[in-house]
Formats: sequence, C-alpha cells, structure tokens
Amino acid sequence: MWIAMRISDLLRMSASNLWRRKMRTILTVLGVVIGTASIIVMVSIGIGQNRSLMAAIEESGSLTAIQVYYWGSSGNTDELMLNDSMLEEFAAMEHVKSVTPTLRFSVVMKQGAYINTYASINGVTQDVLDKIPLAEGRLPDKDADSLEFVVGSMVARDFYNEKTQKSYWETQVMPDIDFVNQPIFTVFDRDAYWNAQNGQGDPPKKYLLQASGMTTGGEGDYNEYCWEIYCHIDALKATLKKIFRNKPIPGQPTQKNGKPYAEFCYENVIVDVDKMENIAEILQTIQDIGFQAYSNAEYIQSMQQQSKTTQMVLGGIGAVSLFVAAIGIANTMMMSIYERTKEIGVLKVLGCAMGNIRTLFLMEAAFIGFIGGLVGIMLSYGISALINKFAGNLMGNYYYMGADSSISYIPLWLVLAALGFAVMIGIISGFIPALRAMKLSPLAAIRNE
Amino acid sequence: MAKKEPVIEVRNLYKIYRIGQNKVRALNGVDMTIYRGEFCSIVGTSGSGKSTMLNMLAGLEKPTKGTIKIAGKQIEKLSENQLVKFRREKVGFIFQSFNLLGTMNAVENVALPLSFRGVPKRVRLKKASAMLDLVGLKTQKKHRPNQMSGGQQQRVGVARALVVDPEIIFADEPTGNLDSHTSAEVMELMRKVVMEQNKTLVMVTHDNHLATFADRIFHIIDGKIVKVEERDHRDAKISEAATVEELLQRSARENVEDTIEEEDPEIAESDDAVMEEKEEKMEEEV
Ligand SMILES: Nc1ncnc2c1ncn2[C@@H]1O[C@H](COP(=O)(O)OP(=O)(O)OP(=O)(O)O)[C@@H](O)[C@H]1O
Ligand SMILES: [Mg+2]
Repeated sequence: MWIAMRISDLLRMSASNLWRRKMRTILTVLGVVIGTASIIVMVSIGIGQNRSLMAAIEESGSLTAIQVYYWGSSGNTDELMLNDSMLEEFAAMEHVKSVTPTLRFSVVMKQGAYINTYASINGVTQDVLDKIPLAEGRLPDKDADSLEFVVGSMVARDFYNEKTQKSYWETQVMPDIDFVNQPIFTVFDRDAYWNAQNGQGDPPKKYLLQASGMTTGGEGDYNEYCWEIYCHIDALKATLKKIFRNKPIPGQPTQKNGKPYAEFCYENVIVDVDKMENIAEILQTIQDIGFQAYSNAEYIQSMQQQSKTTQMVLGGIGAVSLFVAAIGIANTMMMSIYERTKEIGVLKVLGCAMGNIRTLFLMEAAFIGFIGGLVGIMLSYGISALINKFAGNLMGNYYYMGADSSISYIPLWLVLAALGFAVMIGIISGFIPALRAMKLSPLAAIRNE
Repeated sequence: MAKKEPVIEVRNLYKIYRIGQNKVRALNGVDMTIYRGEFCSIVGTSGSGKSTMLNMLAGLEKPTKGTIKIAGKQIEKLSENQLVKFRREKVGFIFQSFNLLGTMNAVENVALPLSFRGVPKRVRLKKASAMLDLVGLKTQKKHRPNQMSGGQQQRVGVARALVVDPEIIFADEPTGNLDSHTSAEVMELMRKVVMEQNKTLVMVTHDNHLATFADRIFHIIDGKIVKVEERDHRDAKISEAATVEELLQRSARENVEDTIEEEDPEIAESDDAVMEEKEEKMEEEV
C-alpha cells in the first residue's frame, strides 16, 4: 500500500543517480566486471576440463559397463568358463541390463601381396553390429553360406607385404587391399599354417571370404570400430564348428579327455548395469564367482570428483574477487548516501514512502551488479577465446585426444547464473546502505549547512 | 474574520531537547488553532522555536508532550511510515534553501511529489507545467536549478508544494535566501495562490515585515506563543516596529519574572491588532 511509486519512475531515478556520478559508478562497476569475469573464466576452465573428461569416457565406452575376462584356466580341470550358461547366470542378476559376449578368433588373411598372420575376427551380437557405422556395403548376414564380416577402415594397416616383408609402419603407405570387392584367402587353422610354412604337414584349407562392408573413418578420423573385423557371433560359431568338426578349436579349452566342450567359451563379456551406483555390487559378485572383472566407473567417478573439486577451487578464486567487488558496491552506496543525506530528507518531507527510498537504493546497487555482470560476461567470452587459442595449443593436445576439447567452455547456464549472481551481490551489498537511507531523518532537509 | 473549520489544533505542546545535563525547552507549552484557508505566520527571533514548531506540525519531529491534531488526525501518535503517508496526502512543504533536485529541471522537480503518489509521467508533467504557469515561470520550465535565480527557484518550490493539492502548506523561512525585493514578490505570489486555491499556509519567519503578509501572526518567544495578531489586508499597511520592540523587551523581562505576561495591558492596547492571552484563547475555543 505504501509502495506508491511506479517501477518505471524508480528505475529512472536510480539510473539517473548512477549517471550523475559517472566516474564513481564506472569504477564500482569495473570491480563487478572483474569479479564476474574471473568467476566465469575460472568455472569455464573447470567445465572445459570436465567436458574433455566426459568425451574421453564416451570414447572409451559405456559408463555402466563391466568388462569380464576369462584368461583361460591353469589346468583343464577348471570348470569355470565364460560360456553361454554363465552368461545366463549374469543376465539373471538384479540390475544387469544386458550381457554381450565377444568371441575372438585369430586367422591368417591374405590378398595379393599382403598378408596378416594374426588377424582377429570378433564375433559379436546383432546389437553390436547394428551400431557399426558403415561407409560402404552392408552389415554381415548371419545366415550367409560363407562367413561375412565388416572390416574396420584401419584394418589394412595390420597387413604387410609378404615379399618385401615391409609393413605400413615402415613404409607409411596403406596396403592396397580391397576387402569388399575382392576375395580374401583365409586360413582358420593357424597352427597348421605355421607347420606347413616350416615344412611339416600339409597346408590347411584356405577359404575364400569377402567382406560385406567397411566402416566409416580414415586416417585422422578414428572411431571405436575402425580397428577390428566384426562378424555375427552365431555365424562365427557355426563356421568354426564346421571347419574344426570334432577337433578342439584353437583358443578354446578342452575337457580332460581332450574333447572340446559343447559350448563356446568367451574371452571377454561385457555386462551392462542399469545404474552407475550398482556397478560396485555387480562387480563384486562377478569377481566372487572367480572371473576377472573391472569397470572404469570407479576411475571415472574419481576423475569426476577431482574435476568437481578443481571447479570449486577455481570458482572460489573467482568468488573472492566478486566478494571484493561487493565491498566496493557497499562502499559506493554508503558514500552516495552520506552525500545525499539532504536530498533523501527532501524526498521524505515531500512524502516519498520509506519503502520506495529503500527500493531506490537497492535498485542502484542492483544496477551496478547488472551492468558489471553484463560487461563481465562479454569480457569473459573474450578471455575464454584467448585461452582456448593460445593455452589450448600449448597444453590441450597433451592431455586429451578429443578433437573438440576446449580448455575453457562457457555454457549458457553459467552466463545466466553469473549475471544473476552479480545482481544478487549488488542487492546484498546495497541492503544495509538502503536501510540506512530509509531510516535517515527528514530533518536533514531542513537544516541549512 | 469569521470563525471557520479548524484544520490545525495544537494543545499544550512541549519539545524539550536534552543536551548532556542541560534541557533546552524549544517549545514550552504551545496552544494554537489554525483554520482552513488561513495564511498564518509564526514569527520570532532566532532560537525562539519557530522551526521546531513547524517541524512538529509537519510531522518531521515528535513532540515531547502535547497533542497535534491536523485535519482531524492526531499526528503525534503516527508511525514514521504513516507520517510519510500523511505528508504525501495532506502536506506541501516550501524550504528555505529551495531543495530542488539538481538533476531535474523545473517541471520534473515540480512533478516529483506526484511520482510518489504513482501518478503517470504524462499526467504529472502536464500538471506540473500548469503549476509553473501559475507561479509565472512559463519560460524556465526546462531549466535546471543551477540555471535559475533564487527567486525563480523558490517559485518552483512553491509550485512543487502546490502541485499535490495539499490541505496545508508549510514554509520555513521561504524567503530566507532571497533579497528583500524578491522576497516580497514571492510572498505576494504565495498569498495570491493560497487565496485563489483556498489553501492553508503556515509560514515561519524571523522578519516582522514579511510576517505581515499573513492573515494571522503568531508571535513566539522562547517556545511560547505570546501574541496573536490578526490583519485585514484590505487596510493600509500598519507599522509593526513598535510592537516588536516591546515584545522583545517583554521577553527579556519574562526571563526575570515569570508571571509578568498577565499584567501587561499596554501591549494589547498599543496596537490595533488583537492580542490574546493564552488562557482566554483556550476558553474561547472550548
Ligand atoms: N536537534 C536539536 N537539539 C538540541 N537543541 C535543538 C535542536 N533543534 C533546536 N534546538 C534548540 O531549540 C531552540 C529552538 O530552535 P529552532 O530551530 O526552533 O529555532 P528557530 O526559531 O527556528 O530559529 P532560527 O530563526 O534561527 O531558525 C534553539 O534553542 C535550538 O538551539
Ligand atoms: Mg529556524
């Protein structure tokens, strides 16, 4: 009820009061500019760091994944195996979302002059295959007559010239292999291949295989799938069973009597958990069964914690300078009230409501915060750009491989939060001066100095 | 002058300042009644308590004792917030040192009290402009205070006091910073405007001559009203000098003998203005 003045009039009056003392206003605003800019820049460095970290994590795989390994048993007596029944056991656990096995099998591959005597084929589930980005061809068909696979764009690097014995690492020239359009000679029985090479026994059977597709990516543009050869896990199992019939499959454990097991045994299984906080529990359970299992969740969490701490420390450094700016605002407001004692008295004699007088001074202080905040934001964008340009070249690339990782990153919420914070600081530091102004005696107007 | 509706009623008003061990009785039992539409002046020497009196009436200071009733409201009981509201709605104020805001021009200064009432800008500037016309400042409307003479500034001050259409206007030494010629001009202006708009004006001055512009003159000495003069302005001017000299003398005597006030018939007879003893006046009004 006693707030009689219009907001527009209050705004106009407080703005004109600030304008009257330009120099002092500018200096006070400058304090807020520096304070805001330092908070934003400091926090933006923390955020930039966190973002690079998150990007690195994304590249390294899922946050909720547990890698389970089976390094083979010391004796063949070991009943523990990473096979389909075990996988079912994992899948039945609470919090486990999915279980993805990978069946790895090494072969010898050859096309033209180029050969790789240790090429790994990864049998994966359809889910995984579906994620592979293709540049050429199509995904392998698991029911095809001969084994189909997708080749990573970097796989050719692992081939060497059989005649010159030179590899890509020596020549820096990518072997000229056409996986998709030309057949590849593939030997599944590597032991027999080496024996034959050394003149013992017959050379094993060669199969003519052809890739159904090639992943995206090339030199300088790597992705998760470009280093390996992928095929459907069932197709690989079927192929291996057919080729080795009742003989033991290389890399697979055998029973006491030397016979292969009915089920395939995987080297590596990924167990995906629903939430990060459940990882520790599942991890423990799997380890208790007797498998090697680990997840990078713990490492990531500690990295995130560390990054958060860094952010807070940096933000704290910035906050100190904004605190100094707050003292500046309070000081300026106090001075201006002492100067304007008489004027405030006149306002009161003329019937300006006490609440209006308080609002008037709070607005002035808030204005200082607001303008300082705005200019501070602009300044921090400039500083951030400079940091990314110069410091980025110096250290950025050493730390993170990610192409888009910037040292300082300013998200929109930071801008808004900083502006709000600056205004709030202004209001808080203007509060006591405003109360003082409100309580000044109207008699000050009457006294003649 | 016919009896009219009282707008200010002061009863038994005391204001005592304590300075260390000393007590200063700035107001020492004041009774006064001011009627609607009157132009009253309170006159007295420096330190006699005029400003204290006016500040109490305007609710700028709280009395030590006594009651002040303005437009039917006991203002000594109001809180500071209520007093501000009271001034905003009922009171106009003219200052000795004009007290215009230096950042605003004449119109804006006049419009200022209207902004405290939430009057939209366009409306209040229009009103303020009309007020400035009334006080004869047609051409200086856009002038800042430092671009105007003292007399012009005080005209702006008068316009500012009038613009809110107050019931009562208070003025403390409104011409204290002006030369005698300009003072007379401003006084005439105030008289005219107050008469035309039927406003109540209470003015404080130490200048006996300026006091005679009023309809009634309250003489105050050492915090007491010692004499009330009534003037009819259709008559020729009456010299006040003798009376004031005598008043001063009386005041000096009063300090020695406290009861002398009642046994001093010569003063009342020496002037054609009416002088009332306090007791009589009170009886009259009861
Ligand atoms: N705030 C105060 N504290 C102490 N004493 C005061 C205060 N204000 C006024 N006085 C005293 O009260 C008395 C009356 O003061 P007041 O200001 O009313 O005088 P005045 O009649 O207006 O004088 P002048 O013509 O000089 O303005 C003086 O003796 C003065 O010293
Ligand atoms: Mg005075």
